[in-house]
Amino acid sequence: MQSSSAVSLYLDPQIRDWVLFPITLVMVLCFLDALSYNIFLLQSSPKKLPRAAVREQRALVRSQVLRATSANSPIPFIYYKSISQNLTKAFTEGAYLKDGPPKKDAPATPPNPLTDPAAMDGMMAGMKTQMVMMVPQMVIMGWINFFFQGFVLIKLPFPLTLGFKSMLQRGIETPDMDVRWVSSLSWYFLNFFGLNGLYRIILGGDNSADSSRDMTASPFAVTQQQPGGPQDYNKLFKAECDNLEFSEGLHNWIGNDVEMRILRKYGRVPKS
Amino acid sequence: MDLSTALQRLANYRTQNSRASQDIFESGVIVFRKDALHKLGDDSWQFLEQLALAAIDVGRLDVAEGCIKHLSDKFPGSARVECLQGVYIEATQSADVALTYYDKLLEADPANAAAWKRRISVLRRTGKIEKAVEELSQFLDTFYTDVEGWLELADIYSSCNQYTSALQSLQHVLLLAPQNPFYVLQAAETAYTAGDIPLAIKTFLVVVDMTDSESDLPAKDAVPTGITVRAWYGVEQSARKLQKTPRLASTSASQTPAPDSLPILEQLAKDMLRAAYSGQKGGAATTAQELARWLGDA
Repeated sequence: MQSSSAVSLYLDPQIRDWVLFPITLVMVLCFLDALSYNIFLLQSSPKKLPRAAVREQRALVRSQVLRATSANSPIPFIYYKSISQNLTKAFTEGAYLKDGPPKKDAPATPPNPLTDPAAMDGMMAGMKTQMVMMVPQMVIMGWINFFFQGFVLIKLPFPLTLGFKSMLQRGIETPDMDVRWVSSLSWYFLNFFGLNGLYRIILGGDNSADSSRDMTASPFAVTQQQPGGPQDYNKLFKAECDNLEFSEGLHNWIGNDVEMRILRKYGRVPKS
Repeated sequence: MDLSTALQRLANYRTQNSRASQDIFESGVIVFRKDALHKLGDDSWQFLEQLALAAIDVGRLDVAEGCIKHLSDKFPGSARVECLQGVYIEATQSADVALTYYDKLLEADPANAAAWKRRISVLRRTGKIEKAVEELSQFLDTFYTDVEGWLELADIYSSCNQYTSALQSLQHVLLLAPQNPFYVLQAAETAYTAGDIPLAIKTFLVVVDMTDSESDLPAKDAVPTGITVRAWYGVEQSARKLQKTPRLASTSASQTPAPDSLPILEQLAKDMLRAAYSGQKGGAATTAQELARWLGDA
């Protein structure tokens, strides 16, 4: 019965020309439009951080700079050691934390992003961006629902199980139709999620108007992605102490045997 | 000078970040005379900034004011333009006015690195060294990776004869820019002045090691040039001093052991210095004689 109903459907080519292509085109154009909108309106200048926050954010760089060259260090061991130990001390004591060293009896839970006003601002900005991205999508969805409700647009060239029925035939309430037929509203959703790859090719990697990212990320998750989100710097600093200690063991000043290197290079090695 | 060379020069100065103010100013005036500002496209704003700074440097404040006006019309509220306006205020009004201006900028954005640095430089210029050092330390505590800041701190310390502190600042510079031999040379000379001769001679040798392999010749046949010559001078002088007063070898503040092969090192340094001056004529010949005398009585 399934095969007979599949054979019995014949799609008017006009549907392809006047419904399928327009929907796809509108979605691409709308996306490009949203992108320019995004760049010029939504990406406001990065939020200004207070000094202590900047200091906290950049404290890790110090130890990374120090560690990067430790095996061929440009500075003698005594200076290296004093810098390294000062950093270790500051990290264990939490001297670089923006709110000052943590209290001994403070609960060890990560900070709640809802209580931090700065994090809240970041969240609001993320939500605003998403709202503006969502509005055109909702308009398109309304347009499709209004004009093309119940349209069957396309037949997929491969068979699928019944489980895909609700995904591919949204808006058509028939139990009998072959799953391979795709309805207008489902075509919209397939485009919505599937075109991101195409956009990425058109626009190059990392663009801000990637709508599926907005969909998958909840407004609360957005703050985590932004720099300066509620990271537990105290934990990071503590972890860095071990790295510092390890690098201190590796330290070797390039000046240690430089005179032998030079003498050898100039052919003046003393006979020993 | 025609327009294309002028533009070429300006672009070169921009990438090299050099302070050839008179030249930049003259090239900039040509651009304006040919009315070619629009030809620069997006580069024109960078050009205006460059010209404004150069004009302030050569004292043509009227030109600078025009440039800054253009920029602040295009980018209202930009931190970079505000900083440029600060420089203009420094040039036209008293240091106190400039300080208040920078204070205002820093109040609006406490992490505005450019304004903070300008403020520190004004403090230093007006002789408030102590305050400048304090602010600079705080600045470097926040923006550790600012090489310029560390160099400035070392310079301030050196100017106050605090060579040990200067040396410590320079160690941070070396960490941040380990590939630059000029900083290593500065550290070596500071170490020498601070009295840490073993550290100095080793650091001078590091400079030699970093800079002598520019030509294709094997190192021992190459004629040292530029910074390498200066480093050889340092090696020679440190080796001589260490041999004269062996006590210095054990009093190194950084506990650096002195090299064992001092006489050979000194001989090598002498040979390299002689080689550096041997092929020269005229005025340089007297230099070679001077050098021979200096090396001879060692």
